Amino acid sequence: MFHWLEKHPFFFAVGIFVTIAFAGLVEILPNFAQASRPVIGTAPYSTLELAGRHVYIKNSCNACHSQLVRPFKSETDRYGHYSLSGEYAYDRPFLWGSKRTGPDLMRVGNYRTTDWHENHMKSPSGVVPGSIMPAYTWMFKNKADINTAYAEQLTVSQFFSTPYNKPVPMKDGSTKIVKMGASTAEANALALAEAKVIAADMKDQDVKDAVANGQIPEIVALIAYMNSLK
Amino acid sequence: MNKLYLGGIIFTALMLLFTYMSVSGSEGGLHGDIVNMLAVAGAVALIIITVFVVIKYVRQMQTDTADGQLADEKWDGIGEYLNELPMGWAIMFFLLIVWGMWYFTVGYPLNAYSQIGEYNEDTAAHNTKFEAEYASITGDRLVEMGESVFLAECKVCHGINADGIEGKAANLNKRIEAKSVKLVIANGSNNKLLGVEMPMPDRNGLFNANTSALISDAEIDTVASFVANGMTGAGADVFAGVCASCHGSDGKGVDSVAPNIASFTPALVANVLAHGKKGAIGEMPKFDRLNAKQKEAVGAYITNLSK
Repeated sequence: MFHWLEKHPFFFAVGIFVTIAFAGLVEILPNFAQASRPVIGTAPYSTLELAGRHVYIKNSCNACHSQLVRPFKSETDRYGHYSLSGEYAYDRPFLWGSKRTGPDLMRVGNYRTTDWHENHMKSPSGVVPGSIMPAYTWMFKNKADINTAYAEQLTVSQFFSTPYNKPVPMKDGSTKIVKMGASTAEANALALAEAKVIAADMKDQDVKDAVANGQIPEIVALIAYMNSLK
Repeated sequence: MNKLYLGGIIFTALMLLFTYMSVSGSEGGLHGDIVNMLAVAGAVALIIITVFVVIKYVRQMQTDTADGQLADEKWDGIGEYLNELPMGWAIMFFLLIVWGMWYFTVGYPLNAYSQIGEYNEDTAAHNTKFEAEYASITGDRLVEMGESVFLAECKVCHGINADGIEGKAANLNKRIEAKSVKLVIANGSNNKLLGVEMPMPDRNGLFNANTSALISDAEIDTVASFVANGMTGAGADVFAGVCASCHGSDGKGVDSVAPNIASFTPALVANVLAHGKKGAIGEMPKFDRLNAKQKEAVGAYITNLSK
């Protein structure tokens, strides 16, 4: 057998590849499968949150803000528990970022609230003196794209079995069901219901009026997304 | 002396010359710079050893003849001598097997680096240090610590001067604003300011003992400005009739019944930090990542602000 392999270098190379690849798979796959599973407390994004995520990506927030807390005391003091790979299970794509011009946003929902975000997005230096972040005033006018968010929900629920309309375990032992509409109209209605909760905590009258009229400004979707980051 | 030795000597001399030139031409030169001197010594040793070894094996290739017994098997026409296993090699091989067993079973598992492990050690060391240094501080040091925590965590909403940045958050230089009092009277409250659930009824549950009627709009305005002015001015009678039964006649609260609305207390602030709060201005998130001492310190700092 070995004599034969020595005379056939191609099959020898194939044999070596298979042996090493097998060893690699046995070592890597079980750990990877375990670590990439959603951790308890990680739920899929709702329609409005997903629309907010699209706003986040569209405005390149990830160019200045990371979403990854490294396991250093100085970081966990400031941002909370270090990130686990399973927490990104429903992030497509993940938004780790590569540079912190602004602070990390991995768990911003734990320590900022709707009204702070509203003040801050309108005039960052108004709440954080010396902030170099620009104001994002157009988010108060532009309308969020709920249909695209719904399309993404449909896609990931069918291709990746993202558990929409199914109970997801939470940290306190309870379960949470993230709803996904059966039709575009239902998805828009669900998003609007979520938006009303956010808008109730906001002060901008134009935004409140828009939501009351059944429209969802981008800022509402973005704040829903920010609040979901925990 | 044959050509090989001559070539070796010339090559060695040239290499030494190049080494000397490149080192003496560089910054620091050869004299007085210990690093350059060590580098040159190493280079000289390397050149001489290399030349000797090369000469030895070239000589061997020129003069050696093969001897010994050949193995039966040939690989693509290349044979192999059946030589004895060298003893030194065999010993090293055996020791390596023993070391390998130790490394797989003990060495690696017990000494493997883990990033999370290092984080846990760092955190434990920090917490121990924190305990030793700050666990029992009081008075001015506690207020100082509270200020530093405030500047790290709270100033983003409440502002550097704790004035709430033009109404974007609560002004912590005074206990309460009139509009907060009005909101609480209109909607009731259950903000866990005592650390536990303790609901206050809305205006439909607030009787004025003086008039034997529900609190009126005018009375709400009066009592709101009375409380917001630090329990002074007009409205003391309404406060006595409506609020005092729970909040005490001086507004300083009653244990496990109602919070202090005349002044901040460290416990009140610690409870807000632990549970968050939703009030007239907006929602404040909870800050449960602060440890108990830090919460106490922030409480001391904020209590100190409005003194």
